[in-house]
Amino acid sequence: MIGLPENRLLCLLLLALLIPAVVCGAPVTRTLSTAEPGAGEVITVSLSIDGIDLGGVVETLPAGYAFAGTDHPADRVAVREQSIGFAVMNETRITYQIQAPASGSGDITGVWENFLGEADGEVAASHVAVDGIETEPESRGEKPPAQEAASPFAVLAAVAALLIAGRGGRQ
Amino acid sequence: MKRLLLVLALVLLLAVPASAGEGIPGDGDGDGVLAAGEYTSAALAYLDAAYMGGTGDLDRDEIRDAAWVYARWDGRPREIVDSSGQTVTLYRPLRRVVTFSGESLETLRSLGFDMEKIVAVDKYSHEKSTFFPECRDKANVGSIWSPDMEKVVSVRPDAVFLYATISTAACDDIQKRLEASSPGIRIFRFDCFKPATYETEIRTIASIVDETERGEEFASFYASTMDRIRDGTAGIPDDEKTRVYFEYWFDYTTVAATAGYNEKTELAGGRNPFAIGTAEYPVVDPEAIIVADPEVVVKLAGQGLAAGGYAGHDPEALDAIRSSLVERPGWTRISAVKDDRVHVIHSDILGGAQHFIGTAYLAKWFYPDRFADLDPHAVHQRYLTGFQGIDFDLASEGTFVYP
Repeated sequence: MIGLPENRLLCLLLLALLIPAVVCGAPVTRTLSTAEPGAGEVITVSLSIDGIDLGGVVETLPAGYAFAGTDHPADRVAVREQSIGFAVMNETRITYQIQAPASGSGDITGVWENFLGEADGEVAASHVAVDGIETEPESRGEKPPAQEAASPFAVLAAVAALLIAGRGGRQ
Repeated sequence: MKRLLLVLALVLLLAVPASAGEGIPGDGDGDGVLAAGEYTSAALAYLDAAYMGGTGDLDRDEIRDAAWVYARWDGRPREIVDSSGQTVTLYRPLRRVVTFSGESLETLRSLGFDMEKIVAVDKYSHEKSTFFPECRDKANVGSIWSPDMEKVVSVRPDAVFLYATISTAACDDIQKRLEASSPGIRIFRFDCFKPATYETEIRTIASIVDETERGEEFASFYASTMDRIRDGTAGIPDDEKTRVYFEYWFDYTTVAATAGYNEKTELAGGRNPFAIGTAEYPVVDPEAIIVADPEVVVKLAGQGLAAGGYAGHDPEALDAIRSSLVERPGWTRISAVKDDRVHVIHSDILGGAQHFIGTAYLAKWFYPDRFADLDPHAVHQRYLTGFQGIDFDLASEGTFVYP
């Protein structure tokens, strides 16, 4: 039977092997100018895109956060309520701005599609909270069907959580 | 009667192909060109409908097809002239293909076409589980002579491949019935087994499936063998050509001028003393063979003389066929027997898309000095590994020639 230190090492090895693979494989990643804006502050969101010649990205903002503009050509952007759709045509970066509410927190979520590569997936969620203060999450209603499938990252995160939980339990 | 009508109605409903319809998806103004603005509008409309709660009529396949046409075809339809001379217009890439011809199926695989997009195949390809293992579980649409039309329409093809110049009545009938029941369907007619047209057909089919680079590579590979054979036999006077008796599957049945096997025999520099006559596969008088005194005898194994091929590694069976030939009454007087130049070849490498491999063997048998550097075995293995992408080791699997 493997002892506890070996188990821990195995978990770390698994995480070390799996997480970079997922991060490196994600064609769309998101970075924020700040995750803890002040009330009404404008946040710059940058989407880094790799290997999508023709496709799309749809970002969904937490309640209260408002789309405030983008450097993407206007005819390739669609906005509906809390969602912003970008048609991707060989871009490697799309930047857009959102304005924070007086208070509120939540996740910016996203999905991507590579039309030519016939692939799709989720952009890892980014958490934002005005002044770093967490508030009760508001329901944004049901996700559209295309977003229902769990992303590989979410599955991996769940596996990692289970592994870590297992380690904790044994200790 | 009512039940029959219901079944017919269901079949007609199913008959609408997966990607039916004229026009490029997203071509808003219907002018036959998908402009940049039209493409981006279509992409946004799709994203809006799929993820943002909006409504739109393009589904995922359609926007992917639109992207393909915009990126790969410069936003325009693609026109193809097939081997029957008909012009077929494609408004989107093929997603669901039915092949009634094993040769077209094999060529599509040579070109790297995604075999998942082949939704049904003819019964003979279906049975060739060693060579087409991925087709074992696909729908079987029968043969061109006995097609299962209900099965064809039930798999909702957007394209069907038929022969161009053989069994034309049967293929014409299938085409007519499909075009009547499925208006958006595309019918392509190719032979894929004739030396005179195969190189062109490779490039045309490559254009259909957008594999032009791979098509060039494969066409060059094919042409390098065929050109080597043509160059090696060029300039040999007719009266100096090797006399060949080519025997079909059945005893004393040979091939005449109109038969494909005769074309390959002549390409390899052989002279067939029995080429005259109108019958494609004439039966000859055994004595006439002895009188003709062939320098080389080639016996065909295959469907009508089951031994070897991809289905089995069985050199003993081909050896037995050869022995039965040389032991025929009076054959010890034939030059081919005296000089030990009696060979058996399997139709798998001479009758279909692999005819260049078999023809290379014929050339080497007819003119061993002229073709000393030609290695048909190596050509065959490269074809299987490099183009067919199947794990088949000729050193231990299959038997195609003897000796």
